[in-house]
Amino acid sequence: MALLEVTDLVVRFRTHEGTIHAVNGVSFEVEAGETLGLVGESGCGKSVTNLAVMRLLPKPAGHIEGGTVIFDGLDLVTLPESDMRELRGRDVAMIFQDPMTSLNPVLTIEEQMVETIRAHRKTTKQEARKRAIELLAMVGIPKPETRLSSYAHQFSGGMRQRVMIAMALALEPKLMIADEPTTALDVTIQAQVLELLRRLTTEAGTALILITHDLGVVAGMTQRINVMYAGFIVETATTETLFASPSHPYTVGLLHSIPRLDEVRPETLVPIEGTPPDQRRAPVGCPFAPRCAWRLEVCWSDNPALVPLDPHARLRASGPEATHLVACHNRPTPEEAAAGRPLREGFVAAPPPGGVVEELAPTEEVLA
Amino acid sequence: MTAPTVTVTAPTAARASRGLWGDAARRLLRNRPAIVGLICIAIFISAAILAPVIAPYGPLAGTLAERYQPPSLQHLMGTDTQGRDEFTRVLYGAQVSLQVGVIAVFLALFMGGVIGAIAGGLGGKIDAVLMRIVDVLLAIPGILLAIGIIAWLDRGMLQLMLAIAITYVPVFARLLRGSLLALREADYVLAARSIGASRVRILLRHMLPNALTPLIVSATLVLATAIIDIAGLGFLGLGPPDPRTAEWGTMLTDARKFLELAPWLVYFPGLAIVISAIGFNLVGDGLRESLDPRLRR
Repeated sequence: MALLEVTDLVVRFRTHEGTIHAVNGVSFEVEAGETLGLVGESGCGKSVTNLAVMRLLPKPAGHIEGGTVIFDGLDLVTLPESDMRELRGRDVAMIFQDPMTSLNPVLTIEEQMVETIRAHRKTTKQEARKRAIELLAMVGIPKPETRLSSYAHQFSGGMRQRVMIAMALALEPKLMIADEPTTALDVTIQAQVLELLRRLTTEAGTALILITHDLGVVAGMTQRINVMYAGFIVETATTETLFASPSHPYTVGLLHSIPRLDEVRPETLVPIEGTPPDQRRAPVGCPFAPRCAWRLEVCWSDNPALVPLDPHARLRASGPEATHLVACHNRPTPEEAAAGRPLREGFVAAPPPGGVVEELAPTEEVLA
Repeated sequence: MTAPTVTVTAPTAARASRGLWGDAARRLLRNRPAIVGLICIAIFISAAILAPVIAPYGPLAGTLAERYQPPSLQHLMGTDTQGRDEFTRVLYGAQVSLQVGVIAVFLALFMGGVIGAIAGGLGGKIDAVLMRIVDVLLAIPGILLAIGIIAWLDRGMLQLMLAIAITYVPVFARLLRGSLLALREADYVLAARSIGASRVRILLRHMLPNALTPLIVSATLVLATAIIDIAGLGFLGLGPPDPRTAEWGTMLTDARKFLELAPWLVYFPGLAIVISAIGFNLVGDGLRESLDPRLRR
């Protein structure tokens, strides 16, 4: 049995402007010790999915409207809050995007780390302190004994993220969720922090969900990738397969919108035109249809299911042999994926029903 | 900000941190206006405590024959309408101001703090009800509210403290609630929740200490205003019940009618009010700057 099994998760936000359809039936699994990337642009529901798993959705607006989240045999959706609190930090830990604001400014690193450890383990202050020093040394903070009494503002951004990693790993959780852990960091630091994260989770056998909008970040880090768009998983495959044969127009678009250094002839970057759909409306048809170059008429009215690329393949939800699943009515062929646009003779993307491309209402910055 | 390089350590890191309060004290002592304020407060507090020791006469001792004497070596600040030594009475006046002011502010801080913590920590309907009550209190001008409370409860030291305290309850309640609401959305509160900290723990350990700084600063500033309020109420005849008590505002009222004859009777109590109020104001501003660990110089 997988460590984490999310099935048909639906998350909505009830706001004054109406209901936000943040996550619309997402299913995925994470094996113990596995690294999973969750990729998509801002507002696609990747963070919300994980906040829902942790049951930390912003109250009172955020609700899990449906689906199950089974972690280690426990249904987290119905688990009492007190048990959930026990579980947070001990079994599932989280790292946030901005290390500048995720540490309490008026408490020393020592106070925060000792507190984390003692919240879940019956240890003395001295033992917890020793463990904190160990952890800081592990994440590569020089002179950890003296740095323990420092405040967050006395660390640089990269150092703070290291402290956050140390705190998240303090209780040897089974699952770690890293939400854009390097987005706020300097490029030179990003690689160091990612490498550290990978090394430490591998050593401890901790499963990792890495949320990012940067395909470059997941490329070297994860075993599998879920690509999310507008609250749906549109494609999932092992990292190798996904990069070798992207089969959803959105994934193709993502891959063509990032610069690559290993190309012999640098090709031009192809942006994905348009903006994500307004999630205040219940989704009709394929959410990517308005921006898709491959769209058929059916895409406007029917949202394709996430099905195996090879219909005869054995279904595996996780692990190195996970099945490549795609939700698309008109998959780009490998040649088209390489070119980044449809190559079929005379193919024109189907016009929207009614003939006019619907003007999208300006999207509010919904939770990423 | 520090350069985001791994090897660089912040300059302050080399020196061992002495905790929030140690650091704050060090920063406060480097702030020149705050030093001036501290000196003012030191004069004020030592006057209050040492009044029985340094005062050359008793606060009520004096004969009518000796009244309206201008400042001299025998009477540093002259004598008042009853022939009592003005210097002695200014010293004893500090006692009343300090005692009433400090107790009133602590009372207000406590009541306002509890209301603000409940409202900001729990939210929802409780928050709405509490804040409407606070709004009503806030709608009434402070000194008018204090006058009303004394009129209702009768004159007395305890009533005086209570009246001033209630005037400032809304200030603290709103302040704490506002900070707590803002902190609820703070990343480190989410981070604390993500490691399994309980609601009470998050409120007491993560949110309150962060919300405390503005509260301490404003308590110091309110103390300055409270001293003026005490004098104001005294001036209006609503001060201590015994009219002979040396209280700065009451002393001003007594001297008012003899302004041309004995102007020093207005200068010295007035100066005492100004010095103590300015002292707390300067220290309050200094604290605001020094208690924020993010403000580095």
